[in-house]
Amino acid sequence: MTESKQQHIFETWLDEHKALVFKVVRAYAFSAMDQDDLFQEITIQIWHSIPTFREESAVTTWLYRIALNTAIKWVKKVRKHPLSETLDNVQNVLQDSHLQIDERLSWLYEEISRLDEIDRSITLLLLDNFSYKEMAGILGISESNVGVKINRIKKYLISKSKKYDHHGI
Amino acid sequence: MITMEFEEMKKIWDSQNNEPMYGINEKALHNRILSKKRQAFHITNISELLSIIMYSGGACFILVMNLFRGSSGIFMYILSAWMLCSALYLLLSRVRRINGDHRFHRSMHGDLAHAISMATYQVRISYLMRWNMIPIGLLTVLGVWDGRKSLWIAAGILVFFILTYYAAGWEHGIYKSKKRDLEILQDKLEKEEVEI
Repeated sequence: MTESKQQHIFETWLDEHKALVFKVVRAYAFSAMDQDDLFQEITIQIWHSIPTFREESAVTTWLYRIALNTAIKWVKKVRKHPLSETLDNVQNVLQDSHLQIDERLSWLYEEISRLDEIDRSITLLLLDNFSYKEMAGILGISESNVGVKINRIKKYLISKSKKYDHHGI
Repeated sequence: MITMEFEEMKKIWDSQNNEPMYGINEKALHNRILSKKRQAFHITNISELLSIIMYSGGACFILVMNLFRGSSGIFMYILSAWMLCSALYLLLSRVRRINGDHRFHRSMHGDLAHAISMATYQVRISYLMRWNMIPIGLLTVLGVWDGRKSLWIAAGILVFFILTYYAAGWEHGIYKSKKRDLEILQDKLEKEEVEI
């Protein structure tokens, strides 16, 4: 694959699926500096993955696989060696867009962040309508295991929503 | 007590697909580029100077030792000349690189292009210097063999050069990955500009 073709694919993917990357970043990294670092890490892994993409799966499935695997590894790495604030990182490249964000969405992210890394991945995939088979393929676990985990996650989120102040919604 | 059904959570989740939740801070991106540029400049500068000193110092040392001992072995003289040529090549490359520095604009794009150009230079030099180990290693081993030294010494030197060759490959990989990171940053920057 030529470099210009790789670059073209990279730009197209990032343009069409940046929301997917942002979701993973927000679910796995919580400070602005961490979000920046994880975003950078995921985009690098996406770039490297392009020559090995065989179109046997949808692009979103492929990107989720890369983004989630990178995020899970990143969490383990950061747990061992937390990022230190350097001059380079004082200002973050990735910034919250000043859009009015539905506070129920913030609540949802907060609850997702309380789950372990694998359950977090399953929740993201479930919310984005992936099938059990696709989730099993992405995460490398059995479909039955995915099913068990989904039931538990749904129960957990619904029970947490009882405690959430809906502000009359 | 109100509960939220999972389908409702899905609707809330889908709402973020239309509006990106983050934007890119151009100033911070520029600062990051400047920092990477400084880092690339520092690494290139130090490794260039060290290599020039090492090659020229080594060449002079071998030449003086051979002249002092009155050695007639040809390989050590060739080695000395080869190392001197390597030092000269590095020196000329350095001068060319420094002269070319002013081609870049003081803008985000210019700084990034400069950093990439420096990283490309570093990748090329590390690649050439890695392959340069082979003639140097061979000439050293031949010189030792020619000087009727123990076979073990020659074998030890050969092992040393093989290890150095692999270490140089690892170093080359680091430079390549740094260059790749910069190019990804450039892609992101270009994409941002298209969107703006």
